[in-house]
Amino acid sequence: MQCMPFMVWKMVMNMIFSELYSIYYQTMAAILKAATDHPLEAKEMQHIVGKYAFGESLLHILPAIEEQRWQLITPDGTTPLHKEPAMPLTLLEKRWLKAIANDPRMRLFGDDIFDFPDVEPLFLPEDILVFDRYADGDDYTDEAYIRNFRIILDAIKQQYPLKITLQNRRGNPLQMNVMPKCLEYSEKDDKFRLIGSSDRYGSTINLGRIISCERCQDGMARHLTRKSEQQRKVVFELFDQRKALERVLLHFAHCEKEAEKLDDKHYRITVVYDKEDETEMVIRILSFGPLIKVTAPQHFVNLIKQRLLNQKSCGL
Amino acid sequence: MAYSELVKNFNRIREYMREFYVYGFKSREEYTRKSARSYDDERRRLESWLGDYMRFRQNAEGKNVFISIDSRAVQHNPLYTAWKTKSFTDGDITLHFILMDIFASTDDALSLTEIMDQIDTYLSAFQESKTFDVSTVRKKLKEYISEGIVSGEKQGKTMYYRWTMSKYDLDGDILDFFSEVAPCGVIGSFLLDQTKKQNDHFSFKHHYITGAVDSEILCTVFMAIREKRSILLETCNRHKERSSESHVVPLRVMVSAQSGRQYLIAYSPRFRRILSFRTDHIVSVKMGEVSERFDHMRQKLEEMQKNMWGVSTQSRWGNRMEHVEFTIRYGKGEQHIPKRLEREKRCGTVEHLDENTCRFTADVYDASELIPWIRTFICRITEIHISNEKLEEKFREDMYAMYALYGLEDGDEHDIQ
Repeated sequence: MQCMPFMVWKMVMNMIFSELYSIYYQTMAAILKAATDHPLEAKEMQHIVGKYAFGESLLHILPAIEEQRWQLITPDGTTPLHKEPAMPLTLLEKRWLKAIANDPRMRLFGDDIFDFPDVEPLFLPEDILVFDRYADGDDYTDEAYIRNFRIILDAIKQQYPLKITLQNRRGNPLQMNVMPKCLEYSEKDDKFRLIGSSDRYGSTINLGRIISCERCQDGMARHLTRKSEQQRKVVFELFDQRKALERVLLHFAHCEKEAEKLDDKHYRITVVYDKEDETEMVIRILSFGPLIKVTAPQHFVNLIKQRLLNQKSCGL
Repeated sequence: MAYSELVKNFNRIREYMREFYVYGFKSREEYTRKSARSYDDERRRLESWLGDYMRFRQNAEGKNVFISIDSRAVQHNPLYTAWKTKSFTDGDITLHFILMDIFASTDDALSLTEIMDQIDTYLSAFQESKTFDVSTVRKKLKEYISEGIVSGEKQGKTMYYRWTMSKYDLDGDILDFFSEVAPCGVIGSFLLDQTKKQNDHFSFKHHYITGAVDSEILCTVFMAIREKRSILLETCNRHKERSSESHVVPLRVMVSAQSGRQYLIAYSPRFRRILSFRTDHIVSVKMGEVSERFDHMRQKLEEMQKNMWGVSTQSRWGNRMEHVEFTIRYGKGEQHIPKRLEREKRCGTVEHLDENTCRFTADVYDASELIPWIRTFICRITEIHISNEKLEEKFREDMYAMYALYGLEDGDEHDIQ
């Protein structure tokens, strides 16, 4: 052991892994909430357990109530509790909330940021560094950006169409009507994109390109269509050298994927991706060098080959 | 012991979740380190918690179990569920809801005797009512004080208890968003469970959810950093063959948005160096004393980061610093390429040599960390020089190996089908 002899080490109690946050406690709180309102039948309890808990929870929660191991619901379906169950914020929850209050993205959600003067933040921005995030992320301090973000989020919640003026790739203004569905955030790009249906080709808009947006007349929302997402698959064989298996599987962990062992050193991996991300997928696969060989589909193999041929022509 | 959906110890489930989610190709027989019974129980639990995300595939070697999640299609990290499965006793849950109801029903602080009397009244509604002894209730109240949901105040020799409830109307959108993107986001997920405000207004791209299973480790590390304390790390290698302990001063958590990996950067008094530790290799963290070295080492890390491409603080070949430079060319309609170089350069610099050529240069501790990124420019690299000659040679060899892999050693356009 390398620790200093005089050092006293203290095991920290489980802070996150606590029954206070458990699904069973949440489920019981929902049952008790109903029971403070009216006597419960077994069927209603079953329904609540089905809604809040896991696949097999019925087998555990209902017997515990019926056998009065958990003395919270009486046999006639009432509860001795007087109020709907509630729990104060824990110290951990307050510390986490105080930490995220320091995040520059917080202002997108409103000007009144909560504070908990009695606690220290769990972390400060300088305690974390995302080291490979792209440098041209959205500017969350820009007032116009904040205003647009808030209008869009409201439109998503209230489901009304927006008239959006944005800057296209050539820097020219472009107007479109959009029925917003959700805001998509990319941690790598550090950008928000609006996903929705629109009256033009392309229904995904980078918020950073939006000049202005406003509620548009309902009549203008007709004929808005959503570009359908096209999912594609790429299959490659992996040679497990230099920890390639772990690196590749972690790298593609966020995608729907399947891994199959062919022999001790070879694996076949299938990764599902959106068609619009194909170029990104090509370069991500190239980054693994000769440890990955794409085997299907042929058009993807050709994309890789073309890049390699072009590289050869560079004389390297 | 009879099977239960809930677990007492998170570490075992943490390991299985990672195996099923990240790898997902092992058959039951390959989980040799654990008993078959243990494997069956953990698999059954995960099936119960994760439902449709659990998939199966039958092949010659048996049945493979894996977790398949397209994180772009889910608004809330399904792996957080595992943190909501802590086991408890019948007494724990009974006492919890009764105590919360007692505190919710009065603004007054209550003595232990008053609380005990009220508990008995609640339980008298049951024919064979439970009894809790004073020490159990006192212990539970002490636990709740450290969780921050109850406060205790001594008046004379008597301790008086009240809860700490104050009204906060938490915004569901804030919780939806930050529970996915902020460190220890599972805490936001706990809050969402209580507010019942979960919505689908956000989705996430390039979203790595694996780090969720390391939340407790990360949380303890953050607490140590905020208090500038040393910690004792128990780490293991990936194959879990051996574990070791390291006394370190934690300085910063570094996260990769492109692989989801999380690292602790810490000063090691034993090696007198700043080192990185993958959080998924950390088994446990014990808190030590306040370290006088924290501020100095944090400052040193700040300086070092000017030459860190990733998390490596030293060359694998023992060099003090390694120089990397490469040149790329691009066509008239490919202005997105130099822009890409600019936004991805990190600690490097980009020189625009002419309308169609750019040169990237960087001085870093470990040039091997740049290699995968340099390969993303394959098709346009005209020159490359790395002061670490072996590394440059390896890069070139790998290029030839890639040509050979696709039969392009002497290839031309006809090789494209």
